[in-house]
Amino acid sequence: MLPSAAVFYFPWEINSGSVEEGQSVRTFGRLVCYQPEESRATLSTQHASKEHCVVVHTLFVEPFNPITGAQYIVLGEIEKDEGVGAMVRARVLNCVDGVNIALLQKAITEQRNFFTERERKQGAQPADAT
Amino acid sequence: MQAASMDPAEEPPSMLWGLDPVFSAFARLYIRDILEMTESTQVPGIYFYNLHPISKVDVLGTVVYKREREDFFCYGVDDGTGVINCLCWKSDLLKEEREPSKSGAQLSAAAQGGFEPVAELQKLRRAQRTRCHLEIGELLRVRGPVKTSRQQREIKASTYYKVSDPVMAVQISWMMEAPQLYRQCYDKAPQLEPDAAGDSAVSSLSRATKILKDFLKQKSVSRFRPYDVQDLLQPLISSQPQAASADQEPVAGPSACQQLRQLLKEALQILQDEGAVYRKVKSQDEVYLVTVQDKDLLVAVKDIIREDSRREKYVEKGCHVLHILSAVRQRYSLNVSRAALELVLKTLECNSDIISTSDSHYTAI
Repeated sequence: MLPSAAVFYFPWEINSGSVEEGQSVRTFGRLVCYQPEESRATLSTQHASKEHCVVVHTLFVEPFNPITGAQYIVLGEIEKDEGVGAMVRARVLNCVDGVNIALLQKAITEQRNFFTERERKQGAQPADAT
Repeated sequence: MQAASMDPAEEPPSMLWGLDPVFSAFARLYIRDILEMTESTQVPGIYFYNLHPISKVDVLGTVVYKREREDFFCYGVDDGTGVINCLCWKSDLLKEEREPSKSGAQLSAAAQGGFEPVAELQKLRRAQRTRCHLEIGELLRVRGPVKTSRQQREIKASTYYKVSDPVMAVQISWMMEAPQLYRQCYDKAPQLEPDAAGDSAVSSLSRATKILKDFLKQKSVSRFRPYDVQDLLQPLISSQPQAASADQEPVAGPSACQQLRQLLKEALQILQDEGAVYRKVKSQDEVYLVTVQDKDLLVAVKDIIREDSRREKYVEKGCHVLHILSAVRQRYSLNVSRAALELVLKTLECNSDIISTSDSHYTAI
């Protein structure tokens, strides 16, 4: 009944193949283009002097007010599509323009480190991907 | 995880739960941990995270699921580690429907500059209603006890509201804080051992002080000599185990009678330090006066304040505690301590004989 938890991923991880199809994720990026006729938006982020794009399927969150150039947070499931690669089918798409992205990245890393540290301490069980 | 694998035999006895501060706080756990913590076998509705007894939680997350019933909302909240159902009862305010035409008329009156309590109240109600009514994708904060119904864990909200977080500042600070809270608190094993190894000398002294205080209060004693109350402390001496008395260096060896006198002396000293009792005259005859029962002292202090607060110097602010203290010492007794005077002032204030104008100034009524 409830959807599975949407774990934070960095935009450059979405396309790297480490995220499996059907997995719930949340990520962020600057809206660079929106094609309403295809219900498709593209979020982009700069990381390590490279531009990383995340394609978002927006059918479930329409209508929304697209502000090109603004930061967005997207929450949804990964769909692998031929041609586009990994795509996020959005359940939530929020404009968070003005967000401190550096701080957000730090918070995500902190949270991850905490969980890996805890799992390492507990030893035995392998990390489950909830 | 570690909570889930906890052996039920390890569960600390419920008598000791209250010793863990986490027990009476709203624990800010990750939703994943809330879903995985084990329920107590002794008391359903209490859960254990890492041996910490948890009765209620505090979560912040995105609404990803929503169902509305006549009496409540059911929100699925996702904090990035798990999703949990939150049962949010609608308050009566929320269920009431208002006639829009009436409220519109009153609002316009308020807009003209007058303060309209009715209109303001309606604004408040409307604000509350919008804060309780969330859509998917909005941020929700929920506090309340955890319960398990039909094998599903949910939070029964005691407070819930929509959080306005346009630039994610609240979410980010929450995410940064949680690992700290875990490291400093939740992941540390609680100290639930009852204080068995406590210093028996100290605890018998505090028990002695309590016995004396209770006695003085119950019987409204106004004055006493040490041997009047000595017998009250007898049970403490005889009940003390032999080993404990051997540890007490200064009184080791002496008879029970000497121990008793020593204990009484220390207890009376504590009462004097606290100001509960004082000796008006220091003489061979040890007479202790109970501060708040000493009518003469109360009258003396009252008179001082009444007279001196008329003086030009004090008329505006009232008399300072230290001024009263020196006056009392001059006119009444040299041995009145500040602690004793403060007790007297408190008593007089409770009787509305005087009022405090600041935390250290008093004036007569």
